[in-house]
Amino acid sequence: MSKVKEFFAKIGRWFKSLVVAPSPEVEPKLKTFWNKQGTRNASSSLLAILSGVVIGFVFLLLFAIFSPAITFKSAIEAFRILIGGIFYTGRTDTGALSFGFNPQLFGDMLFRAMPLLMTGLSVAIAFKTGLFNIGASGQYLMGTWATLVVALSMDTTVVNPFFVWLLALLAGMAAGFLWGCIPGLFKAFLNVNEVITCIMTNWISINLVHWFFQADNNKGAAGAQFVNFVDNTKSGFILKTSTNGVVTPTFGMDKLFPGSQVSGGILIAIIVAIVLYIVINRTVFGYELRACGSNRHSAKYAGMNDTRSIILSMGIAGALAAAGASLYFLSGHTEYAWTNNMSLPAEGFNGIPVALLAYNNPIGTIFASMFMAYINIAGEQIRGATAYNKYISDLIVAIIIYLSAFSLLFKDILSGKIFAKKKAQEVAPATAETVAPAITEVEPQQNTEQEAGE
Amino acid sequence: MDNNYIIEMLNITKEFPGLIANDNVTLQLRKGEIHALLGENGAGKSTLMSVLFGLYRAEKGVIKKNGQEVTIKDPNDANALGIGMVHQHFKLVEVFSVLDNIILGAETTKHGFIQKKEARAKVLELSQKYGLNVDPDALVENITVGMQQRTEILKMLYRDNEILIFDEPTAVLTPQEITELMSIMKGLAAEGKSILFITHKLNEIMEVSDRVTVLRKGKYIGTVNTCDTNPQELSEMMVGHSVNLTVEKAPANPGEVVLSVNNLSIRNKRNKKNAVNNVSFDVRAGEIVCIAGIDGNGQTELVYGITGLERAESGSRIVLCGNDITNKSIRFRNTHGMSHIPEDRHKHGLVLDYTLDQNMAIQRYFEPRFQKAGFIRFEEVRKYSDELIERFDVRSSQGSVTITRSMSGGNQQKAIVAREMDRDHKLLVAVQPTRGLDVGAIEYIHKQIVKRRDEGAAILLVSLELDEVMNLSDRILVMTEGEIVGEFDPKQVTVQELGLYMSGAKRQNKQQTAEEVDA
Repeated sequence: MSKVKEFFAKIGRWFKSLVVAPSPEVEPKLKTFWNKQGTRNASSSLLAILSGVVIGFVFLLLFAIFSPAITFKSAIEAFRILIGGIFYTGRTDTGALSFGFNPQLFGDMLFRAMPLLMTGLSVAIAFKTGLFNIGASGQYLMGTWATLVVALSMDTTVVNPFFVWLLALLAGMAAGFLWGCIPGLFKAFLNVNEVITCIMTNWISINLVHWFFQADNNKGAAGAQFVNFVDNTKSGFILKTSTNGVVTPTFGMDKLFPGSQVSGGILIAIIVAIVLYIVINRTVFGYELRACGSNRHSAKYAGMNDTRSIILSMGIAGALAAAGASLYFLSGHTEYAWTNNMSLPAEGFNGIPVALLAYNNPIGTIFASMFMAYINIAGEQIRGATAYNKYISDLIVAIIIYLSAFSLLFKDILSGKIFAKKKAQEVAPATAETVAPAITEVEPQQNTEQEAGE
Repeated sequence: MDNNYIIEMLNITKEFPGLIANDNVTLQLRKGEIHALLGENGAGKSTLMSVLFGLYRAEKGVIKKNGQEVTIKDPNDANALGIGMVHQHFKLVEVFSVLDNIILGAETTKHGFIQKKEARAKVLELSQKYGLNVDPDALVENITVGMQQRTEILKMLYRDNEILIFDEPTAVLTPQEITELMSIMKGLAAEGKSILFITHKLNEIMEVSDRVTVLRKGKYIGTVNTCDTNPQELSEMMVGHSVNLTVEKAPANPGEVVLSVNNLSIRNKRNKKNAVNNVSFDVRAGEIVCIAGIDGNGQTELVYGITGLERAESGSRIVLCGNDITNKSIRFRNTHGMSHIPEDRHKHGLVLDYTLDQNMAIQRYFEPRFQKAGFIRFEEVRKYSDELIERFDVRSSQGSVTITRSMSGGNQQKAIVAREMDRDHKLLVAVQPTRGLDVGAIEYIHKQIVKRRDEGAAILLVSLELDEVMNLSDRILVMTEGEIVGEFDPKQVTVQELGLYMSGAKRQNKQQTAEEVDA
C-alpha cells in the first residue's frame, strides 16, 4: 500500500516541479521547456497553422454567405473535412460525414509529402548557408528530365532494373547538383544575388526540358520513345517508368496503405532528412556551412573556404530538389506531362513554406511537408464532398499555407519582441538614424544585466 | 557662479525590458558652464542624453528648464527648448554644402523659396563670433572631420540653442583638433552657452570642464567640481575600484624579424586608388610595433593585406617567419604563426549565432583534437572552451553554451583575445583591441599583450587612441593616406608631434626602403 502511495506522491512531485520551482536557482520544468528554442519554434509553427485554419474558416463562411449555391451546413461540413483531412471516409447512408482510418488517403499523403520534403530540405540547407534557393523548381525539372531519360532508355532485359533505378536516381541528383551549382558559382565568384540567377535558371530549365521532348516528338527521332503513344487518349505525357520495369521498392508500404499511390520514396526521403540533420549539426562540413551562412566575413576570417561552402551548399540543395523529382517519377504511378507544363512545378516553390514552417530544421521539414500534403488532400475532399468548387478549396488551402509561412512572426510575438518594439516606438517616435547612437549604448547594458556583469 | 540651473534632470529613471538604464539619476547644468558626463560604456550616459533630447521618455523623474517643469516628447520639443546635440557620428548630408547642411530643417523661406542670403550672413556672423572656421560652400564630403564637427556646432548655434550636448566629440579628432575644440568650447561657455560634454577621457575633463557628473551602471555616483578632483579619483568613481592608468612594462628586447612587409599596396575597392601605398616595415620578436593614425588612413586595409582578408597588389611581399605568405590562404597564415584580433568583433571576430565554445574553436575545429572522421568532437570543444573561459575570465550567462550574441561587448572581446592568445603564434596582429571597452577590461587586455611580448611574440598593434599608442608601444609608425610617414620612439616623441604627422602636416624623409625602390 505504502509503495502505491509513494508512487503517486512521486508523480505528484513531478507534476509540481513542472510549475513550481523547488528552489530560487532552479526554474520550473515547464518554464525551461517553454524557453527551449525547439519548443518556441514548434509552438509558433502550430500557432501559424491555427491562425490559417481560423481564417480559412472565415472564408468558408463568407463564401456561404455570398454564394446562393452554398449553404451554411456545407460550410460547417467543409470545415470538418478540412480538419479531418485524411481521416475522412466518405458519407454514411444518412448523408452524414464519417471519419476513421483511411489507408488510401493516408498513403497518398505520404506520397505527396515526399517531393515537398525533398524540396523543403533543399531550401532549408541553402538557408543554412544564408542563401535563398528559389531555384528548387528548376532543379526539380532537371532531375525529372535526367531521371526519365535514364530510366526509360536503358534496356531492363539486359541490365538489372534495380541498377537502372539507382542509376536514374543518381542521374537526377547529378543533374540537380550541377543546376544548383550555377547560382552558387555566380554568387561565390561574382557576388550576383542568387535569387536572380535562380529565377533565370528556372526558366532556362523549363524551356530546355520542353524543347527536348517536343523536338524528339515532332521529328520522330530517337527521343520519341519516351512519349506515351500506348494510350491514344493521351498526348504530351511521358511514359511511366514502370513501363520499363523501373520502380522504387515499396518496402511494404503498399500493404500498409492499400489503394494509395505510396511508394518507398517517402522512407528514403525521411532517411535523407535525418542524415542531413546529422551532417548539418554534427560534422565539420556542417559547422563550416552554418558559420558561412551566419556570418560569411567571420567564416573567411577564421580561414574557412567561404566560396566552396556557398557553391557546395547550392549544389547539394539542387541535388536534394532533384532527388525529390526522381523519387516522385520513379514511383511508377506518375507520368510527366510536358505539354501543359510551361508553368514551373509547384513542388519547388512549396519547398519554401515547408522550410519556413520547419525553421530550416531537417527533422521539422518531415512534419511540415506532411502537413502540406495533408491540407492539400483535405482541399480535394472538400471539393468532392461539398458544394465548394476547386477554386474555393484551392483558395482555402492557399490561405492556410500562406499563413503557415508567418511562423516567424508568431515566434516574435511569443518571445515578446513585437510588443516590446511597439512600446519603444511609442516613447521614441524619432527617426531610426537619431535613435541609433542611443541604442548602441543600451545593448551592452542589456547584456551585463544577463550576466554577473563585467 | 550661483546655483542658477538652466537644465535640471531630477531623479530620472529609464527602464528597458530587462534592465534599468538610468536609476534615479540627477543632473544639474548651470548656465554658462561646461559640465562633463563621465562613465564607462553602458553606464547610461547616452540614455540620459537621449531622454534630454527627446529620443526616449523616462518612466520617472522630471526635467526642468530655468526652474520650470517641461516635457520633452521628441527632438523637436528639445529643439524648441534650445537643446542641441552633436552626435558622435555626424548627421550630415555628404553631398550638400556646409551651408545647406546648417540650414537643413530650419530653412527660412519666402513664397516657398529658400532665402539663402540671410542664412549665409547669419552663419558667417556666428562662425566669426565663436571662431568656428568653415567654408560655407564646400561640400561636406570634401572637408576634414574637424570642419564637419564645426559644421555640426554651427547647426546648433544657427538654431539659437543654448544647451549644447557633445557626445564623445574628440574620438575622431587629432590632438591639434582636440585642442582647437577645447578652446571653442571654452569660448562658447564664455558667451553664455551651457555645455554638456559626454566623454570617458579623463585628461579632457580636467582640461576643459567646470564640473563632472559620474554615472556607473545606470546609477548616479556623484557630481564634483573639476578643480577639487584628480584623474585617479575620477577613474575610481567611474569604475568603482582603483585602476592602474599606466601600463607597466620592462624595456623591449627585440629578437629576430618575425613579420617583414615589403612594398605592400592594397587597392581601395571603391575609388581604385591605393588605400595602402608601397608600405614597408618589419616587426621583430619581443617588441610591440604600433601603427598610429587617424581612422580611415589605410590601417584597416593594411591589416587586411597582412592577414589575407584582402589581396595585395602585385609587387607586394609579406614574409612571416621565413614563409612568403603574400598569396597564401588565411588558413595557411593562421596555422603558420599568425593570430589576429580583428578590428570589428561582430563582422569578423565572432559568429554571433554560434555558442561561445563553437566560437572558441573556430580556427581549430579541423584539428585532430576537435574532430574525428569529419564529425566534430563537441565534448572536446566544450572542454577547451571551458579551459579558456577559466583562464581568461570570460563571463557569460551560461558559460560555454551561451550564444555569443547575448554576451556583453567587453566579454565578447575577451573571448576573442583569449582565443587568439592561446593559439600557437609568433605574430599577434591586434587592431584596436580595446575599442569600446571599459577601463578594467582595457587594463586587462594591455597586460595580456605585454605578457605575450615578454614571452617572445611579435606584436603589431593598430590603434586610434593616442594614449594607448604612447603607453603600450615600443616603436610607433604613423600612417597617413596609406603611407608610413614617420617612425618614432614613444619615449622621445610628444603627442603633439605625432598629431602633426597624423594630420599630414609633417612627414619624415622618405624611408630608406622606399628610396631603394625608387632608385
